[in-house]
Amino acid sequence: MAESSKDKIKYGLLKFIDVSGFKVFDPPVRLIFGEDPQKQIRDIAKFMVLPMVFVLLCIFTWNFLAPTHKTKSGAVPTPAKVWDAYKDNRRFDERENEKEEAFALTGEEREAEIAAVKAELVELEKKSTELQKLSDEATKVGQAKIDNAIAPIKTQYDELNAKFREERKERKAELNSLAEKIAEKQATTDELITAVKADRTATDQEKTLLKDLKTKMDDIRSDPPEEIKAAQLAANKVADEVQHYKKRLDYLTSGNRELKVVKLEEKIAADQSELVAAADPKAILKEAKSVVSNEEKIVKTAEQDYPRTATIFWQTRRSIATVFVGFFIAAIVAIPLGIMCGLNRIIMACLTPIISIFRPVSPVVWLLIFQIIVGAFFPDPETHWLFKTLNNDTILWGLLPNPIAFLQTNPAMIFSACTVAMCALWPALVNTALGVSAIDKDHMNVARVLKLGFWSRLFKIVIPSSLPLVFAGLRISLGVGWMVLIAAEALSSSDGLGKFVWDEYQNGSSQSFANIILACFIVGIIGFFLDRIMIILQRLVSFDDGSATA
Amino acid sequence: MSYLEIDQVDVSFGPVSDRTHVLSDINLSVKENEFVAVIGFSGAGKSTLMSLLAGLQEPTKGEVRMNGEVIKEPGPDLGLMFQNYSLLPWLTVNENIRLAVKTVFPKLSKKEITDKIGHYVDMVKLSHAGDKLPHELSGGMRQRASLARTLSLDPKVLLLDEPLSALDALTRSELQDQILNIWETDKRTVVMITNDVDEAVLMADRIVPLTMGPSATLAEEYKVSMERPRDRQTLNDHPEFMRLKSEITNFMMGLNKESKELAKGSLIPMPDIRPKDFSLPTARPRLKNKQSQPTSAA
Repeated sequence: MAESSKDKIKYGLLKFIDVSGFKVFDPPVRLIFGEDPQKQIRDIAKFMVLPMVFVLLCIFTWNFLAPTHKTKSGAVPTPAKVWDAYKDNRRFDERENEKEEAFALTGEEREAEIAAVKAELVELEKKSTELQKLSDEATKVGQAKIDNAIAPIKTQYDELNAKFREERKERKAELNSLAEKIAEKQATTDELITAVKADRTATDQEKTLLKDLKTKMDDIRSDPPEEIKAAQLAANKVADEVQHYKKRLDYLTSGNRELKVVKLEEKIAADQSELVAAADPKAILKEAKSVVSNEEKIVKTAEQDYPRTATIFWQTRRSIATVFVGFFIAAIVAIPLGIMCGLNRIIMACLTPIISIFRPVSPVVWLLIFQIIVGAFFPDPETHWLFKTLNNDTILWGLLPNPIAFLQTNPAMIFSACTVAMCALWPALVNTALGVSAIDKDHMNVARVLKLGFWSRLFKIVIPSSLPLVFAGLRISLGVGWMVLIAAEALSSSDGLGKFVWDEYQNGSSQSFANIILACFIVGIIGFFLDRIMIILQRLVSFDDGSATA
Repeated sequence: MSYLEIDQVDVSFGPVSDRTHVLSDINLSVKENEFVAVIGFSGAGKSTLMSLLAGLQEPTKGEVRMNGEVIKEPGPDLGLMFQNYSLLPWLTVNENIRLAVKTVFPKLSKKEITDKIGHYVDMVKLSHAGDKLPHELSGGMRQRASLARTLSLDPKVLLLDEPLSALDALTRSELQDQILNIWETDKRTVVMITNDVDEAVLMADRIVPLTMGPSATLAEEYKVSMERPRDRQTLNDHPEFMRLKSEITNFMMGLNKESKELAKGSLIPMPDIRPKDFSLPTARPRLKNKQSQPTSAA
């Protein structure tokens, strides 16, 4: 019995690996269950170890080649730098979380948090000053080193410069005298021209020499010794941390939501007492207005959320949400249309010109068109019911928290999703039509013999038989949608990974390049998982062993 | 009294100027509960004849009648068992039969349906594989499932379109016995199309040869007067069996020679029998229907 249950687990696992398309993990699973170990080890070496070695080789090459190429935004980041960028983004995200928490904290918890943060802050500030001192010392030492290195070049430069100036003066005088001679007909013009040419070449040479020396000095200056860099980096890091704690303290005290409300309440109370005391009609009206406006402010403040800065992780979630919105719109439109096309040749003939003309249109064009069209539906997005509903804190009349409130849906997201839908529509449509029209004639004859009606024919025969191709189409659609989305976000400034990349490109800080490469990996990894999900779905609906879908 | 009748039927395709006559002047009458085999070469138009009987295709001229009424469309009364099994590959054997039973007998209760399915699955000895998908079955099992589905319609006429031609010899004889067995216990009108003389002589009451196409027609019939049940073991030595077999074979070979002389130079279409394959349609489907349409119609 034990044997058979073990087999059950084994074949269950193998089946799952097969369905999800991770064939690579087949040999290790078999090895764990002790099936023909030699063969499995050979397979692991061939299909796991070798590919891994290759990938490592690629990373190594990247690591080796990246620093050799200098760009306007610094050297191409190495894998280590990209990893650092990832860690920095993580830290940034965590800090945002902490600040958000601080903003919403109330009562005793807030007091306790203030105490903790303050204690931590004292420690950090001490550390920061120490490190700053160290850094300053290191910078001083390093600066001395740099000056030492530059000094001989500098004297050389100055000497040469003085010498060349003299020489230039002499040459100028010579030329002048030659010109005078020509005026007195004692020399030919040819002589003068040759002399001018010689002077130019000499000047150019001098300039190049001086320039070379200058570059040498600049290089030394711009590349401070490693110890300075390290000391500065450490100091900056702690200084950063101090900054963050100060900010957090701020959100716990004056910037805290609860305190803001309390302050406003105090103001109202004061206003009201003044209102009672006031005698002048003008002053009375003014106080009354102030009370009302402050009451309104209280409502707003109490509902206020922490104004989060967009982190790459939030952008990623938003991109995924957008791509699925677009993808579902595409699927909802494409599948019924495709089925109609596949069933009826006239409908197919009607739609063919439309498909053929609009399919090759670039996503960028669609984006601009949707920006105009969709934008017209939301002249004032702030007050539009759609966004109010989607971004509300609760759903179902306040029963449940709204799971999509964090997305901060806006018109830009809607037209990015529409662009995705427009571009993802075609593969699904064409594949569905193909799947429906390629139904086995025998299956249709079965339907005729059974005298199935239109709907049962559709749901019992047509759709099941075309489902594998439909899902193949949807898989392509999702892939296309994901690619299109990143471009659309970059262009439309709709929050998401595309915008993240675009912003990084525009702001050009020292870490931007690494961030862009990080985003590139995130986009790739998510695209890979989206594809996997579709493969699994496709295999689940296909009615054979699924070998046809690689 | 003839139950199923083909009356002066012509079938032709194509434009008037260049018409291809597939079948011409076909006359056949089948009595109730009679087992008739139509034997012919591949491409002679046997499948077209079957489509006519099943109502899947209308004759260009003439009429096909069942019990005096003209057959205009297919229906469960005309139980056609397809050459390529045509089980729905996304449904298990039981589900395939359930679809048929539920559609044809919508008034049955759940339990009655389940009993009916069990009955027919047992009849073809497939009860152990009821929950398997068609692609998990062997060719013979698929054909048995297909037979069970056809029988579950409780058809008045059973039309077998080369039911066994895609099977290996051993499975074939086993299934022949099974079909005969079922027919003998539950008599009904059967028309079977085959290209195997042995099979025809073993199973049928009457054998009607179909001449070579184009313009194929039915030739003089052969009566099989051997007593039933027929025993495969002893049959080979039965004088009647040997006589019929050699007569029909000679007749068919003669037809073949004749047709070869007639159609000198023109190509004889290759047999179009292939087992249904259940592989998934790929992104570039093989469009097997389109390919096989012209030949299977010829």
